[in-house]
Amino acid sequence: MATLIPTLTLSCADGTTDLINFSVVDSLNVTQDIVAPSKVKLTTSDLEIGPTTYGKSYVYLKNTDDTIAINIEITDGNSTMQLAAGEFAFFPWTGASGIVAFSASGTPYLEYAIFEA
Amino acid sequence: MATTAQITITSPDLMPGSALNITANTTLTKAGVTADLDQKESAVIKLVSGTEYRLGPLATEMAGDAHDIASYLYVHNKTTEDATYYVDWGIHETMIGRLYAGDWMFIPWNASDDGAEIEIEPQGGTNIIEYCLFNSDVILPTAAS
Repeated sequence: MATLIPTLTLSCADGTTDLINFSVVDSLNVTQDIVAPSKVKLTTSDLEIGPTTYGKSYVYLKNTDDTIAINIEITDGNSTMQLAAGEFAFFPWTGASGIVAFSASGTPYLEYAIFEA
Repeated sequence: MATTAQITITSPDLMPGSALNITANTTLTKAGVTADLDQKESAVIKLVSGTEYRLGPLATEMAGDAHDIASYLYVHNKTTEDATYYVDWGIHETMIGRLYAGDWMFIPWNASDDGAEIEIEPQGGTNIIEYCLFNSDVILPTAAS
């Protein structure tokens, strides 16, 4: 069993008079399969990056392109999120529905990792 | 409202001989442009088990095309109870994952239509949930008098 330590820091100095500046840290147990940080070139066609063979997992996604957006679907046919240029996401995933990625246009690269609990 | 987000994911023992160390940064901007987001909604709420709770407004609750915007969502289950306490999160009627005690998530989100709403539902007992929704140009309809 391995330990995964994700940390998120959000900061904003001019949003409201109550400044945002905090970090949250978690400690997660990873006991099953992992997809180590990987990078894949996408097209406008679906590419399954997270098959349903995974159980409860944690997913990291990052759009490494400077301009092109990447669409992510977790329920088939329904756009779940769009990663604009440079954006990332980290979330828990049950593995019940596969994770599919495709580009809004062109061939951007997606960086991703999956850690099965 | 220049908001920045940074994630680091580390592990000393996940891959023998190669400690994991991921770092990514992003500035939260409006859709398709480099202008900063200018609105946010944040709260800490207590929800009892089985309560479905929608984060953010529905697309049809926003005026005009105001819903077709970039949003970012941070959710943190601040419960300190055991593993029987968790928060399901999903989009529309599809559950996507579970936030156990102390777990958090951060995703970009587009409230493109009423079928894209994000919902959470605690299980196991009363969970304490912190969330923050960053967005822009959300214009809610005028309240009825």
